[in-house]
Amino acid sequence: MTFMDLINFYFVPGVVLGSIYALGAVGITLVFGILRFAHLAHGDLATFGAFAALAFVTALGVSVWVALPLAMVAAGAVAIGLDRYFYDYLRERPKILTVMASLGIALMLRAIVQVFWGVDTETYTRGIVRPESYWGLRIRDRELYTFVAMFAIVGVLWVFLQNTKWGKAMRAMSDNPDLALLSGVDNRKVTMLTWAIVGMLCAAAGFFLGLNTELKALMGWTMLLPMFAAAILGGVGRVEGAVIGGLIIGVVEEMSVLVIPSEYKAALAFAILLLILLVRPTGLLKGKVL
Amino acid sequence: MMLHTPVTDILSMSDVRGGYGDADVLHGVSLNVADKEIVVIVGPNGAGKSTAMKAIFGLLKVRGGTILFNGTDIAGWKPNRIVQHGVCYVPQVNNVFREMTVHENLEMGGFLSKGDLSAAYDRVYGLFPDLRERRRALAGNLSGGQRQMVAMGRALMLDPKLLLLDEPTAGLSPKYMEQIFEIARGVRDAGVSILLVEQHAKQALAFADRGYVLAAGQNRHEGRAADLLADREVAEMFLGG
Amino acid sequence: MELIGLANYAVYMAIFIGIYAILALGLNIQWGFTGLFNAGIAGFFAVGAYASSVFTSPAADGRLGGYDLPIVVGWIGAMVCAALIAWPIGKVCLRFRSDYLAIATIGVAEIIRLVVKSEGWMTGGARGINNVPRPFGELPYFQSQLAYLALIIAVVGLVYFLVERQIKAPWGRMMRAIRDNEAAAAAMGKDIEQRRLEAFVFGAALMGLGGALFAHFNRSITPEAIDPMVATFLIWIMLILGGSGNNRGAILGVAVVWIIWSMSELVTDQLPQEYAIKAKYMRIFIIGLMLQLVLRFRPEGILPEPDYSNHEKKKKVPDANKASDASAAE
Repeated sequence: MTFMDLINFYFVPGVVLGSIYALGAVGITLVFGILRFAHLAHGDLATFGAFAALAFVTALGVSVWVALPLAMVAAGAVAIGLDRYFYDYLRERPKILTVMASLGIALMLRAIVQVFWGVDTETYTRGIVRPESYWGLRIRDRELYTFVAMFAIVGVLWVFLQNTKWGKAMRAMSDNPDLALLSGVDNRKVTMLTWAIVGMLCAAAGFFLGLNTELKALMGWTMLLPMFAAAILGGVGRVEGAVIGGLIIGVVEEMSVLVIPSEYKAALAFAILLLILLVRPTGLLKGKVL
Repeated sequence: MMLHTPVTDILSMSDVRGGYGDADVLHGVSLNVADKEIVVIVGPNGAGKSTAMKAIFGLLKVRGGTILFNGTDIAGWKPNRIVQHGVCYVPQVNNVFREMTVHENLEMGGFLSKGDLSAAYDRVYGLFPDLRERRRALAGNLSGGQRQMVAMGRALMLDPKLLLLDEPTAGLSPKYMEQIFEIARGVRDAGVSILLVEQHAKQALAFADRGYVLAAGQNRHEGRAADLLADREVAEMFLGG
Repeated sequence: MELIGLANYAVYMAIFIGIYAILALGLNIQWGFTGLFNAGIAGFFAVGAYASSVFTSPAADGRLGGYDLPIVVGWIGAMVCAALIAWPIGKVCLRFRSDYLAIATIGVAEIIRLVVKSEGWMTGGARGINNVPRPFGELPYFQSQLAYLALIIAVVGLVYFLVERQIKAPWGRMMRAIRDNEAAAAAMGKDIEQRRLEAFVFGAALMGLGGALFAHFNRSITPEAIDPMVATFLIWIMLILGGSGNNRGAILGVAVVWIIWSMSELVTDQLPQEYAIKAKYMRIFIIGLMLQLVLRFRPEGILPEPDYSNHEKKKKVPDANKASDASAAE
């Protein structure tokens, strides 16, 4: 195998998969950091977002690139609704109960997808896409878009968090919730804002997974472990860490096929998760430990 | 006809009872803070000093008594409403946003302000010139003394009338302790009344205008700080003789 | 005919209730008494089912086995195997808040599923393991079912007795103190991590036993028998609804949820094909919703946790609360 083969068949798919994980992991790290619990319905919210985009494509006949923002808005609204009707009541109780509720929400979201869209796999577009060759580097357009879109979406989020009043309020809530409340930051508004952003990120992650592979009811659930591994690897609460973590997990998963049986690709995220908890629970970029 | 105007109390707390959960920690605490006055609360461990302060700021259940701020009873109000009325509070620990810059910490302090914050920044940086130099540094990377300045600066952004400081010198070296007291005087001279809780009773009484000694959730002594320092009973009780 | 069919069905249901009761008691030790979130119950169940099957089944081509060990050895083996898998996971994750354990156990269940599917030499792959011996299996059908039910009732009774005794012992008191007030319990000098690890491993061993009981009842175990999320979630809703922290509540919850779950399946199976599939998913939606409703409106479950401290010198928990209040006061 030549070096270019290694890049084309393992590294590039790894980066693409990693970009998808990164989008999910950023959302997980926001919930973990600001709302302080592990959101187990994250993967299934991504599934919902992916299928919502499919619904826009089939019902409105719009292009996938129009469907993506629409699906992001839909998933953001669903996320706010989930908080409002299910998570918010548990606010004063031990956080682990919210974790449990989110496991139930995961099943509910998946059941909704299965009821409305059935259990068959779907795709956004038909036909085989051949990769373009750029001086030996073989990349499909959609792979390029995935990578660029991830950086664009996370970049916008980054600018928002660094430069706007409410973005800073979110960071403050993640940094020191008691002090944020003493400063007059409205907890409810920050929570809603966080869910809106998290829902949008979920939809984007699900959409790009669907674009690069196919849509199925379990697609998000199988991403849950790698997304959590990425968030913890990068450092809980660290947006840039989640991106780095996502890319690492994606590349390691794809590369691992060279040394371990491909059936166990999915076990790698778990191994990395346990390893990081064992040697450096704060993650690469010194995040929080709950 | 009055011959002299009485000293106006900006804060007047009388017979306040309350605590965490169902158990009372305060069994009737009364204290006053006059305009531009520095008042210190001292007392042995577990006397309810910090609890009294938290009661003012709406952080615990007040079950009896009144807390008048500028003539309005604020007992039972939520902290953000109290902030908007001109009382700011600096907790003893975790009182800065460690992963945010000094400037962002101040910005969060002004979160409830609707208008332009530039005058507030100037005022706070004027009080703490060191902070202006380090405005882009992360608060978590500052020294203990500077961090305390950030904490006070954050609380002063909304231009409060009363500043509540919970053990501002805890864990600081004597050099920094003096510095914090110096800063507090500067803040007072800028027109802000200060109520603080102190573990270092001697030093605090030497610096404050008046003092209250609490024990077991009740007033024990009160008076001018210098008188309390000189009082034998107070000294024996906990000043270490 | 009708009557016999009904009796058969009742016995069949009762056997399943017994198997789920073991799983729920295992989860009660982890969650109800210790506050540990195990989202991988199906994984430990599978380990137990496969371990006991491998130990006790006759030889088969292309697969590990042929040990023909006594069934009791298989059951003990199932518990040991499940415990051995739980131990390292607990060791790594129990230092942190239970969120991390939840994620890790989801991972464990997923990996166990992968191993079961991929390692044919051990698990028989997609075909699974057949000819798993069943106690009293040589009797006629109905007697055999009845005998197995009696056996299950005996096992549930034994487990119930052991768990109850343990929970009233100093060990259980310690567990509840840890769960209710970690800071104070730590200050009391208790080795929290070790206690939690014991609870996690003990609970997992019971889940392994549940798996073994299932495999021997079914006479076989295949990957399809284990739907990780739905199986795990059913146990959770059983425990939460019945009353976590209460062993009788756990068993009651198992009975209620399992009867509703099975009856609703009977109903949905009557529907035309196209709706039957959708109805199947609606059932999952409804148990998810049921959890939300229980958490919101009756978090203590049908039978709340009894006040165990009545039997003890009222000491640990109230003291712990007071200690934390006092420290918060200053």
